[in-house]
Amino acid sequence: VRCQLSPPQRPLQASAVLRRVSDEQKKEPLASSSQQHFNSHPTDHQPEQEPQGPRPSYTGQGGQESEDYESEEQLQHRILTAALEFVPEHGWTAEAIAEGAKTLGLSVAAAGMFHSDGSELILHFVSQCNTKLSELLEQEQKLVQLGKAEKKPTEQFLRDAVEARLRMLIPYIEKWPQALSILLLPHNIPSSLNLLTSMIDDIWHYAGDQSTDFNWYTRRAVLTGVYNTTELVMIQDSSPDFEDTWRFLENRVADAMNMGNTAHQVQSTGEAVVQGLMGAAVTVSNAETVRAVR
Amino acid sequence: LPAGGAPLRRCSTRAAPEGVNKAVIDRIIRVDHAGEYGANRIYAGQMAVLGRSSAGPVIQQMWNQEKDHLKKFNELMVAYRVRPTVLLPFWNVAGFVLGAGSALLGKKGAMACTVAVEESISDHYNSQIRTLMEEDPEKYKELLQIIKQFRDDEREHHDIGLEHDAEAAPAYTVLKTAIQIGCKAAIFLSERI
Repeated sequence: VRCQLSPPQRPLQASAVLRRVSDEQKKEPLASSSQQHFNSHPTDHQPEQEPQGPRPSYTGQGGQESEDYESEEQLQHRILTAALEFVPEHGWTAEAIAEGAKTLGLSVAAAGMFHSDGSELILHFVSQCNTKLSELLEQEQKLVQLGKAEKKPTEQFLRDAVEARLRMLIPYIEKWPQALSILLLPHNIPSSLNLLTSMIDDIWHYAGDQSTDFNWYTRRAVLTGVYNTTELVMIQDSSPDFEDTWRFLENRVADAMNMGNTAHQVQSTGEAVVQGLMGAAVTVSNAETVRAVR
Repeated sequence: LPAGGAPLRRCSTRAAPEGVNKAVIDRIIRVDHAGEYGANRIYAGQMAVLGRSSAGPVIQQMWNQEKDHLKKFNELMVAYRVRPTVLLPFWNVAGFVLGAGSALLGKKGAMACTVAVEESISDHYNSQIRTLMEEDPEKYKELLQIIKQFRDDEREHHDIGLEHDAEAAPAYTVLKTAIQIGCKAAIFLSERI
């Protein structure tokens, strides 16, 4: 690293170091996962434009930097995406991130940008999966709107959506228990909960849920339960293509649908009973009146 | 916190429709929905007691308008993907009890309750209109129109309440203040949870 930087290294300085190292190494063939971001990182032949001051700005201050610059955030996303390839081997760790950084032509010191327990890598992965799921559901919805596909009944829709989302875990299933335990660490819970709730809300939205009363909460709570239990079954499932998991999922979703019907029946029964009691009360009161008059 | 890590912003899976300020719209729709729901229940309570009295038709008419308001907010809630407040079951009961309770004080009591609630609601709508105007009147044109219309309707209810001798109700000032404090609390809570 041929830069003079005074400690403590701040995030922007760290990225600046990495950028310069990468530029100096020139581009070896980059990992395929970073190809899509190549546009934000064009010819490094040109000297970097220094907008103002000694260090290039990575966050969008003043709009001075050129379009060539990617923000620090985009760089972090690229590194994490590249790191996913190494998760089956190294687990959700700083090693995987370091390997990912290497494939992008960056120094392994890039892993220092992230938490040492791999939290950001896991959260990044979950967020990516959720985005993929949303896109999938959006496409399906478009097909139905164009009349090219049949609208699925709710039960099947939920089943398929949860299955599609869980299948994204398959390449990483060996190391997924580790990821789950990290997601449950106190400092990760707000983020992981947020990701979980927005995913479940997405699924219900595309399933056509339009509830505006307390049902909004019960439906989401039930589906969250289904998703979490199925996920747990999946990580210890050894059947071919996880067929035990999908059967478990089918049963849980069926239970959830039944719950809705049962609640409905209970309400109707309750109303009928009340009506019956009111009728009885009126009859008795009439009988008393007749008797009193006589 | 990690040595060099700025917190990584997660990509949101929920794209805001046409770049609206989700946080602000969320709160507005959630609290307005809760408000109209509560107003519905208040009138339902009043009708349960005074339905067959001379005030019945007036209350019924105001109730019908509130039903339309609630229907509109139900639609907006789905369109903007806003979650309803968890306190809905509570407002269900509390609203009915307030309506029935005020109606038991007589027709004037019910009208006093209406005046108090409608005044709170119109002030609340006014501050929302101000917020949206400060944000971006063009972007929120449709929502502004709806809120303005509803604010005018609530003002009308307020005036009807006054016309029907709300101020002659027993302990009018105390009643009105208590109800308005309750409304403020309800608004505060429904915006957040």
